[in-house]
Amino acid sequence: MAAPHARSRAAVPVLGVLLVAALALGGYLWLTTVRWQADSATWEAQARRYADRVAEQRAETSAVEAELVAAREQLATATDRITDLANEKAQLGDRNVVSQLEVDQQTRVSEAAAVVADALDQCIGAQSRLIDALARDDAATSDGPAATDRFASDVDDLCRQAVDAHDELRRELRGTAP
Amino acid sequence: MSAARARRRPPGPGAPARRALLAGLLATTLGGCGVLPALPDPVPSDVVPSYRASFAPPAHSPDDELSPDGFDAVQRMAVRIRNVGCDGLSTGSGFAIDEHTLITNRHVVADSEDLQVSTYDGRDLTVSAAATARLADLAVVRTRDPLPSHPRVTPDDPQPGDAVTVVGYPEGGELTATAGAIIGPTTDPLHENLGEVLRTDAPVEPGSSGSAALDAHGDVIGVVYAKTGDGDSLLVPSSTLRDLLSDSDAFSDLPPCS
Repeated sequence: MAAPHARSRAAVPVLGVLLVAALALGGYLWLTTVRWQADSATWEAQARRYADRVAEQRAETSAVEAELVAAREQLATATDRITDLANEKAQLGDRNVVSQLEVDQQTRVSEAAAVVADALDQCIGAQSRLIDALARDDAATSDGPAATDRFASDVDDLCRQAVDAHDELRRELRGTAP
Repeated sequence: MSAARARRRPPGPGAPARRALLAGLLATTLGGCGVLPALPDPVPSDVVPSYRASFAPPAHSPDDELSPDGFDAVQRMAVRIRNVGCDGLSTGSGFAIDEHTLITNRHVVADSEDLQVSTYDGRDLTVSAAATARLADLAVVRTRDPLPSHPRVTPDDPQPGDAVTVVGYPEGGELTATAGAIIGPTTDPLHENLGEVLRTDAPVEPGSSGSAALDAHGDVIGVVYAKTGDGDSLLVPSSTLRDLLSDSDAFSDLPPCS
């Protein structure tokens, strides 16, 4: 009977140690669980906060991208319009230059026509005077037949020049005709 | 004495086993503490990392410059040239090589009474002087107003097969870019240029004369001066252009038309 009693007495401290250890372990595990729960909740809250910010920024990015696309389209339209306007201005400038060149040409032709008309007028006047002189035969009385021949030759030269100027004008007019 | 002797009774045969059991329990307890989960660290208030910018700012080169108005550098360097001559009106193209100098063809500015230069956006630039090359169908025009943009002239001529883009004003119309490829060097069928010229299949039209021919980087590789009967285009190569620009006697003043 002494040996079992001694064994049970010896088991008391062992059981006491085990009990204390079990209590300490349980307490530690409870504390750990509570702390991790709180930690997890905090992380989740922070994750949700960041998720909200990500969502906001995604929305802002989408809006900015849409604005960028619209701005690019407007810019493309504006550059196309600028190109069109530059081309229209260039074509108008070309037409103005061509018109000015035509006006200059017309002015030169008109001046040449006036010269031709004047030359032809002089030719006609000289021929009239020659005809009158021949009809009155007064050229022979004043300076003789030689003077009449000289006058006739001068009239021929004058009229030839007038006819040449006239032909030149006609050629030029044919060259500028549309 | 007998009681003391009795208390100091020598340990029985089970004492070592109990000590071993206690030691084992202690060791198990202490060892078990190592596998228990640790307490969590406090949650930081901000976990957003602060990264340094991983991208470098773009290098400063004409290719990377932002356009101030939506037009790219290729369009901004092109100019339209109106030659009001004694015999009438003609148009051609040109391109800037610096802020006040542009390049075109000799035949674009020949027999001129008045040279008028306009930019991609329709601005008119005042011409201050013009000079033509004797040994190539090239001309240099100086402007009093600044030119919007100017490309780089490559030192090396392109190779057959290289891509080419021609930017100019065909038929005196809108600013147009056409693409093609270098066919190869050839002798000048018009005998206007000393040395070889380049043949490309980039389409050009009358009025494209003086257009810049650009490589894939937007650098000038030649100047358009003619179109062949089978639709190819002929370029004065950039090497000829650079040689002439470096020779102060290569250009002479443009004579007035008569």
